[in-house]
Amino acid sequence: MPTEPLRSAPEERLVNLVVALLATEQGLTKDTILSSVSGYREQGAAGASKDALEKMFERDKDSLRSLGVPIETIGDYADPDDLREARYRVPTSEYSLPVDIDFTPAEIAVLNLASGVWGETSMSASARSGLRKIQALGIEVDAPIIGYAPRISLREPSFAPLQRAIEQARVVEFDYIKGGSDAAHRRRVQPWALVEYDGRWHVYGFDARQDAERTFLLSRIASDVVVTRTSFDLALREGAGEKALAGLRAVADRQQARLQVEPGTEAVLRLHRRAVGEDDTGCLVPYVDAQIFADELASYGPEVRVIDPPELAEVVAARLRRARDLHTEAGG
Amino acid sequence: MRAQPLVATDRASLILQLVPYLISKGEVTVVDAARDFDVEPAEMRSMVEKLTVIGLPGDGGFWQMANDLFDIDWDLLDEQDTISITNAVGLERTPRLTAREAAALLAGLQMAASLPGVGDSGVVQGLLAKLAAGASSAPAEVIVATPVVDDVRTTVAEAVQRGVAVSFAYRAPDAPVTTRTVDPVKVHIADGQWYLQGWCHLRQAIRTFHLDRVSDVVLTDIPSTHQSDALPGLFEPGETDVVVELRCRKDVVPLLGEFAARAVVRGKGEFRTVSLRVGDERSLKRLAARLGGDVEIVSPASAREAARAWADAGLAQYS
Repeated sequence: MPTEPLRSAPEERLVNLVVALLATEQGLTKDTILSSVSGYREQGAAGASKDALEKMFERDKDSLRSLGVPIETIGDYADPDDLREARYRVPTSEYSLPVDIDFTPAEIAVLNLASGVWGETSMSASARSGLRKIQALGIEVDAPIIGYAPRISLREPSFAPLQRAIEQARVVEFDYIKGGSDAAHRRRVQPWALVEYDGRWHVYGFDARQDAERTFLLSRIASDVVVTRTSFDLALREGAGEKALAGLRAVADRQQARLQVEPGTEAVLRLHRRAVGEDDTGCLVPYVDAQIFADELASYGPEVRVIDPPELAEVVAARLRRARDLHTEAGG
Repeated sequence: MRAQPLVATDRASLILQLVPYLISKGEVTVVDAARDFDVEPAEMRSMVEKLTVIGLPGDGGFWQMANDLFDIDWDLLDEQDTISITNAVGLERTPRLTAREAAALLAGLQMAASLPGVGDSGVVQGLLAKLAAGASSAPAEVIVATPVVDDVRTTVAEAVQRGVAVSFAYRAPDAPVTTRTVDPVKVHIADGQWYLQGWCHLRQAIRTFHLDRVSDVVLTDIPSTHQSDALPGLFEPGETDVVVELRCRKDVVPLLGEFAARAVVRGKGEFRTVSLRVGDERSLKRLAARLGGDVEIVSPASAREAARAWADAGLAQYS
């Protein structure tokens, strides 16, 4: 049973507002909305102050915009900054999926598969909601694509705020631990794109203090991501994903480890596929991040010896030494 | 089902989608609609009931007339648990995708495009453009780099699609090579790794195979008889597994990767005790070396000694 029978649920008010704003051609003034749209009207009648109702209206507009509802403000022609007489409307053509957009049954089947990749992560609800909107167009569906369960992992809590910041073109701040060091440093970054490469999430953007474009591993972000009020030019995001990817690939091309791998082992199976060259002294395997590659190489224990570069060999040996020492004393 | 409870904005979003959905369906049961919207049937019923108090604004502050509100066939709902809209006052068209929805689907498509038999059908390119056109604002770029698919992966995928068994040489870590014939059920891709789950003729059970460990793969003409078998989770422990106890700092727990999913984590403060079942206790020596001293194998003693010997043998190469 509802505890406050007079007060309708906020979602009812939000939907009533959308219905009202879609139904009007010339737009509704704020006063009309507050006095006639159900949800505001009852609260006004129950004695809510005009100020409270206006604040509620502002919040509702923000909520609806976050849902992708395009609320248009038509100002005073003589004075566009004067919003007292502003009228609000939602243009149908921008609210709804374009009429000429059409999906084939085969496309829906692929989208079905695509929407499943997020598993139980925070992106899953968005993917499923997007798919549902497309399905509501009433398109026939091909037999589902069976036999595949692709998943994208998403364990980093920094993903969601970074994505929001990219959408809104806002500068972010976070503490970042550079590979191979223990200390975290504050970074101030214009985030342009999120890139999954080698099974790991990276954010690519412009680092204000370094005055250069940088790629950060999400797993090394050591603090909450703060989305600041400072915005940046949306156009900077264009093509950023491809640039980031090209950058990561260039690093992998440049950084190659020479490894001696014991035949017939797990290490051969896992590394061989990635090798770009081989001779008597060993095989060449490209890598992006020395610390992360060292984690993997250490796991192979005696199955792999790093010949080159010496810095990588040192990092691998350090891991093995720590692992050995930790397990040398009697267990407790 | 959703992990997060719905807030008012989520519910509003669902109602906006619900109207065109109901119109396109004509009649739909509460249970089916709830499934399509990832909510409980009770939640669906309550959304539909709410819909009937939503409508066009009243004229000059008066209450709305009945035909200004959405309405449903109440008898049908009460008697047959079926929803049918009898009066719609707007919202007939499906809303555009939000930037977030478009980004989630676009990233998923990049992954789907890398799968043999999916990406090469030319469908994906067209979809990328359509999704961009259907979004209310520019989605954040979320790019998923997918590696090149080799012969093993293509052949295994083909076996799944054709419904025939596949045979291959399999080398599990620290075990001799065996030849397996498998009725393939599903190809899993997780953390960039490919796994085949299927009925193993040798073991007479459902088994999971890491495709990096598969070689000499051959498509057979034996029809698969286990294609619709129920599958356990990808990393679900088996009955013959041993329990291993680990100790690590709390921030290391997520780094246990695939092991974390099946671990029991206990303890407060800085350190955690992690118990997990593994098929082969020796497999943890690799984990211990990977995390280079950040995780300690406490018991059994044999696993602890294996970890020490493994790291020691690795280290011997550098001294």
